[in-house]
Amino acid sequence: MFDKIAGRALVPVGIVVTGFLVVCFVLLYSAIKNVVIHDSIVQANNLAGIVLKSTRHAMLKSDRTVNNAIIQNIGEQEGVQHVRIFNKKGIVAFSAKGDEVHRQVDKKAEGCVVCHEKTVPVTTLGNMQKARTFKNGLGKEVLAITAPIYNEPECANAACHVHPVSQKILGTLDIGLSQEATLSSLASIRLQMILFSILTLVLTTAGVITLLKMIVLTPMQKLQEYTERSEQNSNVSHPTGLPYELDKIAKSYYFIRNKLTETERQSVKSTR
Amino acid sequence: MEQSENNEAVTLRNAACHTPASQRKDLLDEIKRLRRFSNRGLWALSLFLVVSTLAWRDFWFLPSPERIVAALGAPPTAMVISLVLVLYTFSAIILSLSRMMAGIRHRSSFCHVGYLCVFYLFYYFAEALPDNYWAVFGAGFTILCTESYRIWTFCNDKVTKKLEQLAFLERNGRLPNDDPGLFD
Repeated sequence: MFDKIAGRALVPVGIVVTGFLVVCFVLLYSAIKNVVIHDSIVQANNLAGIVLKSTRHAMLKSDRTVNNAIIQNIGEQEGVQHVRIFNKKGIVAFSAKGDEVHRQVDKKAEGCVVCHEKTVPVTTLGNMQKARTFKNGLGKEVLAITAPIYNEPECANAACHVHPVSQKILGTLDIGLSQEATLSSLASIRLQMILFSILTLVLTTAGVITLLKMIVLTPMQKLQEYTERSEQNSNVSHPTGLPYELDKIAKSYYFIRNKLTETERQSVKSTR
Repeated sequence: MEQSENNEAVTLRNAACHTPASQRKDLLDEIKRLRRFSNRGLWALSLFLVVSTLAWRDFWFLPSPERIVAALGAPPTAMVISLVLVLYTFSAIILSLSRMMAGIRHRSSFCHVGYLCVFYLFYYFAEALPDNYWAVFGAGFTILCTESYRIWTFCNDKVTKKLEQLAFLERNGRLPNDDPGLFD
């Protein structure tokens, strides 16, 4: 196979095109995945901000009923896996799941450890640091945002309950969003890219094979058949419609063959 | 490299002054050397597979990326590394195909394993190895397969020519010094 022109020409082309396509596919998919995940984290952060803004007034008034209602309603929204608000001690103050309320959370647990890793907890986090992904009990991918609830002058000066000004963080909001839609979009993008890559690969290979056969292999075969036939019959005319280089070879061969036949005839005549 | 090719041709021409037995021995040695050289690409590919296995296991023997970043500073972003990887793959393939076309002898396989290893390490330091592992693996496999094929076809052609020279030597008791093509 590697001794023939087709093998020698097609093997490197096949390796190079397939390999380069795979590299570009993986890198492009990785870049797209990063952009999609980054966007979903930004959106989840915005949603966490909206939840905090929605509960702010009820918190200022220390209205637990309204706060509970807001959290319950948000928790019922499709795609929201969990919503809970922790107080400073790590106890769940509000949750969309009633059985979680008043439960203590370990500060070393995922989502808490980001800030509580060191003896002095971190009080500010970037958008990306607030996010974490994990699989919940149902095996679904969840993107969770842990947003701190900062102490503001209105909180510290409120008449209903006292938070000293020195206390920077009053608690945290933890909201988990299903990643199902994002993962399904990524799967769809991946499938489309694989299809596109396969089509490109097939088209490139088919194009190379067709051109090679049309421009090189078929004329070469004609030339080979011509040389083989002219060995038996010197009156065979040289093939037409060959590419320039092969046509030159065929004409030269035809010329040499004629000369040889002529010489043979003359030598036969002279021996008679 | 071309200089060494010329030197080799001169050496063989000088060898033409030697006895047929020594010329025969030289040719057989050269054929043996070319056959050994033709496996160079496969050795490089095997070494790359070993490095890829280490990368697949996330370089467990290396310090964590955080420690390395703390010591050396932040690595380039995954996007920059990926761009460089695409550029490198493209250039390496073009270079290999050009060498294949020109029939130049070049021992470049093992340096590619080094470059690819650096890509694995950079992705590891940027904590982006799981997402980009297959890209580096694909790039390495493609480049090293192309290089192996180039070296293998180059050696095969040379061995065929040497065998022709050997046959000529055994028929006529001398090397075909009137055919410059046979001294390539």
